[in-house]
Amino acid sequence: MLHTGRNLDATKILIYASYLIVIVVFWGPVTWMISLSLKTIPDILAYPPKLFPSRPAIENYGTIFVQSTIPRNMVNSAKITVITVAGTLLVTVPAAYGFSRFRFRGRTQILMAILLFQMISTLIIILPLYRYFIRLNLLDTHHGLIMIYITVQIPFTVWLLKGFFDSIPKSLDDAARIDGASRLQCVIRVIVPVAMPGIAAAVLFNTINAWSQFLIPFILIGKGRLQPISVGVAKYAETVGEAIVTTHLLAAASLMAMLPAIAIFIALQRFIVRILISGAVKG
Amino acid sequence: MTRIGAARELGSRLAWLAPAIAFLAVFMVLPLLDVVRLSFTTASIIEPEYSYTLSSYAKVFGDKDFLWSLSITFIFVAANCVLQIPLGLLIALAVHAGRDKNVYGSILARTAVLTAWIIPGVLVGILWKTLLSSASSGIINHFVQSLGMERIPFLLDPVYAVISIIVANVWGGAAFCMILQYAGLQRIPAELYEVSRVDGARAWQQFFHITLPQLKPILFINLVLITISSFNTFDMIATLTSGGPAGTTEVLTLAAYIQVFTYWNMGRGAAIAVLLLVITVVMTIVYYKLFQLDEDIAE
Repeated sequence: MLHTGRNLDATKILIYASYLIVIVVFWGPVTWMISLSLKTIPDILAYPPKLFPSRPAIENYGTIFVQSTIPRNMVNSAKITVITVAGTLLVTVPAAYGFSRFRFRGRTQILMAILLFQMISTLIIILPLYRYFIRLNLLDTHHGLIMIYITVQIPFTVWLLKGFFDSIPKSLDDAARIDGASRLQCVIRVIVPVAMPGIAAAVLFNTINAWSQFLIPFILIGKGRLQPISVGVAKYAETVGEAIVTTHLLAAASLMAMLPAIAIFIALQRFIVRILISGAVKG
Repeated sequence: MTRIGAARELGSRLAWLAPAIAFLAVFMVLPLLDVVRLSFTTASIIEPEYSYTLSSYAKVFGDKDFLWSLSITFIFVAANCVLQIPLGLLIALAVHAGRDKNVYGSILARTAVLTAWIIPGVLVGILWKTLLSSASSGIINHFVQSLGMERIPFLLDPVYAVISIIVANVWGGAAFCMILQYAGLQRIPAELYEVSRVDGARAWQQFFHITLPQLKPILFINLVLITISSFNTFDMIATLTSGGPAGTTEVLTLAAYIQVFTYWNMGRGAAIAVLLLVITVVMTIVYYKLFQLDEDIAE
């Protein structure tokens, strides 16, 4: 036999070792940031550096709350994200349903174009958009920003939802329509409830995506109190620079910015991984 | 159905697609066409007057800094492909094997990798800037010193700066490769392994004769997707090195940004953006073909 007991143990040890390395490499940096964010200045300057602060300086977070624009930026991001996600769903649910159920000339071409739009860097479209926004007085406005956010989320979301609608048998539509329901009623009452996991996935990925957007607001929103968290933290990092006396504050600000995304992710990770895997297989 | 009925049916169908298509037309297609047009102009961002010219492209390709940007971008993209795919595969294999053998911690390891992926690019940049700092917060330099070496000025030395942006990007991106490969591994029929085990194949033989060939379509798709995302990297580099030191890590996206928003040369910035667009279009076509190929194999 190839798999003797000793052999199996060796494999297991190898697997455990690889997990340990993976966890240290991928959680180590975040752990170090958490440690920094809870340090006092003497702790930061201590040599050799310590992982555990002499006492957790939770007041660092208070300082960020009181003395920086970060809380304002987080509120902005929350608002922008909620409206973007709602707007994206409003636009993509009917579109994905249409692409799933209707056959018309140019359908494949439009779907391919949408795939291409998903791949295109926001940098490319933001250059002309910046010019339009100057003339339309849309710079430094959240509604202008949200329009572009919705647009860049449409391609991915249409493909994601179309996949879910494709897996719902058409007989369900027909059954509802025989009962005299219009197509719209049929989608709202029958299809959407069945496609709920897909819609939940769309909400999830759109939330994380909208929260992470950087380049678009970096270019379009100049006023500090209107900026979302990504730009707020980047600007904060720029102003404090590499000054040692502010390392703990920058770490606290960064963690506040990444925590919502990480929290959502860890809470729903099984669901997310399942969607990612099925998405990866289906395309 | 009457002609009017058919037209009404078509109209009602269009209504389902219209909002999404309207958004894409105004905020995606129009700017895409316009960026191509702008690349043939002398436009700046402030003055409304401009004329048509080919000089943007001539200036861009005659510019030594641009040629450097192009080279560093290719190095960055190649390094990401070469590092992320095997790393993603290794982690995927470990997680897959762990679940097979009921080893504890496979979900924990998977979560750890995915956490790095979920962190926004801007924060990945700030995170690594802190880790690589020469100050006492730079934990990596502490490890370097405990190995008996001098502190390394990671972000001030050109070679180390390039290594730094690659490492930070691989760290943030490995999870995506891991998930793709993991999905691929789950698709390989278990019988293939059972049959080869009966034939007395060793683990490494199984890897090279079953796992790799079966994963090939996914590996290619992965390669294309990493190529596109690496070409488009902006956020992480913007906060990690801002293109420095002295423009060493100024990849194409940063170069375009700087042309437009620092030098106010919309024409030249647009020309670089068009180059990125062409690369994306070509890679997307390759991606599409690969998917069709993959589906043919799967059937």
